Amino acid sequence: MADKSKVGMEFPVYTFKVEKDKIIEFAIAVSQKENKEEINPIYYDEDAAQKAGYEGIITPPTFPTISFFWTGGGLMGTIKTLGIDLGRLFDREEEYEYFGSIYAGDVITRKMKVVDMYTKGKGKRTIDVTVLETELINQRGELVIKYRSTLMEI
Amino acid sequence: MDLNYNDIDIGYEMPAYASQPITRTHLVRYAGASGDFNPLHHDQTFIKVIGLKNVIAHGMLIMGIVGEAITSWIGNKHLRKFNAKFLTMTEPVDWDDVENTKDRATIIVRAKVVKKFEENGEKRFKCEIIAQDALGSKKLSGSFIAAMP
Repeated sequence: MADKSKVGMEFPVYTFKVEKDKIIEFAIAVSQKENKEEINPIYYDEDAAQKAGYEGIITPPTFPTISFFWTGGGLMGTIKTLGIDLGRLFDREEEYEYFGSIYAGDVITRKMKVVDMYTKGKGKRTIDVTVLETELINQRGELVIKYRSTLMEI
Repeated sequence: MDLNYNDIDIGYEMPAYASQPITRTHLVRYAGASGDFNPLHHDQTFIKVIGLKNVIAHGMLIMGIVGEAITSWIGNKHLRKFNAKFLTMTEPVDWDDVENTKDRATIIVRAKVVKKFEENGEKRFKCEIIAQDALGSKKLSGSFIAAMP
């Protein structure tokens, strides 16, 4: 069960580079395609992205989720820190707010903290909830995306 | 072609989007792409231990499919907010029983404009989203806000 003493905890700050091939892989996965020629070229072709009105190759709207899994020991490292039981863990809710875009080649700093932890229900049928808030900041210091994940142990 | 704010009225519906039936291969591909290697999504022996019947799709894969539906319609640069609540689990199609399992694994995304407003000097609209499988079971409910020229 999640360790409620972790409310307010800030995870170490991580920085990662947004790799072009990782964007392609992600865009293929969420559009259920087989190869890059089948996806929207804004996800791999600089010219196509610029023609569509972007500074560069952009990322799909839920791409920021990778910042949770590719930093800080990934899922296993994070839930271990929080005392969350993998066998009971389910994702309940995700909320994204976009202030800008993440482009290929950006260097993103991830700041994640635990904003809430609580138990719902009574007796044996309780659900433990953990709410995380993550800010993604680009190499120019601009907050580009903020997202909130509500995880539950059922 | 980009939509204009004036083209969109309350009640306007986003074109419905149907996923392919989700296979275990789609789950593995999404696991690799996102880095979410929770065994819940690929390892049948883990599933047995926790008392479920089948591996299930990542909630974030369903949200990713919804994101693809939205950005096929309005383009990434217009998106300001995107929220999703996961309602039920999604089991993938079984290759040895495609006829009886493909509908549970097919996600149909619908969204409808519920509000038009100005915020931060932009003309914005809000859509409510429902994603359900081809049997009618609700998988995800949520909303998004877009800013349009």
